Amino acid sequence: MSNFLDLVVGTITQGLIYALLSYGVYITYRILDFPDLTVDGSFPLGAAVTAVLLTKGLNPYLTLPVAMAVGALAGLVTGLIHVKLKVRDLLASIITMTSLFSINLQIAGSNLAIERATDTIFTAAPTMALLGSMSLIYRKLVVSLILAVFFKLILDLYFNTQSGLLLRAVGDNTTLVTTLAKDKGSVKILGLVIANTLVALSGAVVCHEQRAFSSTMGTGQVVFGLATVIIGTTLFKNLNFVKGTTAVMIGSVLYKACIQVSISLGLPANLLKLVSSVLFLVILVLGNRRKSEVNTSA
Amino acid sequence: MKKTIAMVTIFAIILSLAGCGRSSNKTPVIGISQYGEHASLDNCREGFIQGLKDSGLVENEDYVIDYQNAGFDDSIATQIAQNFSAKNVALMCGIATPAAIACFAAAEDKDIPVIFSAITDPVKAKLDKGNITGTSDKLPVDAQLELIRRLQPEAKTIGILYTTSEPNSVSSIAEYQEKAPQYGFTIEALGVTQQSEVTLAADSLIAKGVDCFSNLTDNNVVGVLSSVLEKTNEAGIPVYGSEVEQVKIGCVASAGIDYYELGRQTGIMAAKILKGEATAAEMPYETISDFNYYINSVAISEMGIKVPADIAEKAIESGNQ
Repeated sequence: MSNFLDLVVGTITQGLIYALLSYGVYITYRILDFPDLTVDGSFPLGAAVTAVLLTKGLNPYLTLPVAMAVGALAGLVTGLIHVKLKVRDLLASIITMTSLFSINLQIAGSNLAIERATDTIFTAAPTMALLGSMSLIYRKLVVSLILAVFFKLILDLYFNTQSGLLLRAVGDNTTLVTTLAKDKGSVKILGLVIANTLVALSGAVVCHEQRAFSSTMGTGQVVFGLATVIIGTTLFKNLNFVKGTTAVMIGSVLYKACIQVSISLGLPANLLKLVSSVLFLVILVLGNRRKSEVNTSA
Repeated sequence: MKKTIAMVTIFAIILSLAGCGRSSNKTPVIGISQYGEHASLDNCREGFIQGLKDSGLVENEDYVIDYQNAGFDDSIATQIAQNFSAKNVALMCGIATPAAIACFAAAEDKDIPVIFSAITDPVKAKLDKGNITGTSDKLPVDAQLELIRRLQPEAKTIGILYTTSEPNSVSSIAEYQEKAPQYGFTIEALGVTQQSEVTLAADSLIAKGVDCFSNLTDNNVVGVLSSVLEKTNEAGIPVYGSEVEQVKIGCVASAGIDYYELGRQTGIMAAKILKGEATAAEMPYETISDFNYYINSVAISEMGIKVPADIAEKAIESGNQ
């Protein structure tokens, strides 16, 4: 049974770490209605900055705010290209994503690995003081859980502030924003900044967890983010008390669980993605059916 | 509330499905995580399994193989490694750098031994310390230089094209420059930043009067090798490849490593760990001691090169007839 428990713990940890990325995609795709491919570049950007700082011996906890700041910058660039230079949203994000590939390599030099002796947020003294009695995989779980829940709560609070409400309005009803005499361009930029801050944070935590940055680690992360947002929001469509952020967090864990099932079933490698897709489909169909049941019974 | 319960149930079902795959018997499991489907890496894995057998271990008696392929996706490589760790495998084998890094990270908690293969620079990948060992697929530069010396006794200058942003290429160039004088060569290296510059750089090297070209595993250069070969053939300058695939498309010869052999060497090391003869922590990583000569006789005769009998005997004919 302990084997199984380890697997569950590992899978949930991955889901929680990547949930930070999913929050970002939730903001751009679901709230702003902005197809933001910057994510494929800002995710490894967070990891690249973290890898360099860890090698240089910076306090591991400080690498997180630095990575977030750099991610914010990436979002800002996409926003400025789109709003100020009037480049179409998708293209603006592609431009940033493409240039980030070079920038990431410039920052890190090349793919960068971190020695096992180097402290990460999972092994540094303050974490050990609090969670030292746990084994490493449980420490990883607890730290990821704290991060995922903390930023979920921050986002939930933010969405209810005036700025947060404007952000939601830009995606739903741009006329309203204009009527309120607010500039929708700067609201969009703000949204992209927040989203990519979270995405870079996710990359940074992955770098701590894997002790490595690779220039190709961002490939496919937008698609992952979209899938988790759709899984999460579809499943909890009718449960009003479940916040979007919570739904996305669970979506991310479910996604990683689907991949883990495919791996555990020991299927031929080439079928892995196919099986994962079938599992997503099953989740979505189950979610939809439940929705219609509610509708008929109501 | 009913739905919340349903959600939890779905999740529980999914995760218990995940638990089904684990093996229940006591035979030690070797988890092989291969980064992606690629001819060289596949050869490496097959060689690894052969190496275990050659060491006298019997599959399904002494060990069982759990093979997983990450499809060139780093985050899947992570989950594969976690799966191995949760199953308490006896040994993890990571083929190619990202797979090995993921295995090493997942193995940390339980200190499961990790063995890697097909990694160019294990020191740079920080896979040289800890309960880990394996084999590196570094280019056999000495063998290549010796081969060139034997085939072209009069040659003085070797031209090499490389991409300045590829770390593997930069370190290989440094090694070439360090070792070339021992064989009486000077290296004329010319760096490019992108693929479109490669053929221009080839012209420039030809104009400098190099006696031959030697290739690295540089993707940009190898990607347009055919057009480089067009120019060098016109100028009558032989090009030496870094692996068999390049000889197939028209390089005269190569002293290249055999990935099957590399895997086999790794398998033998893994067997030592399984048998308890050595630990991964105390075994240093190995670079391959075996390489093959590959020649393309058509290209060789066009260049008017005479192959010494001992090399002709050992060499593997690889030209497309």
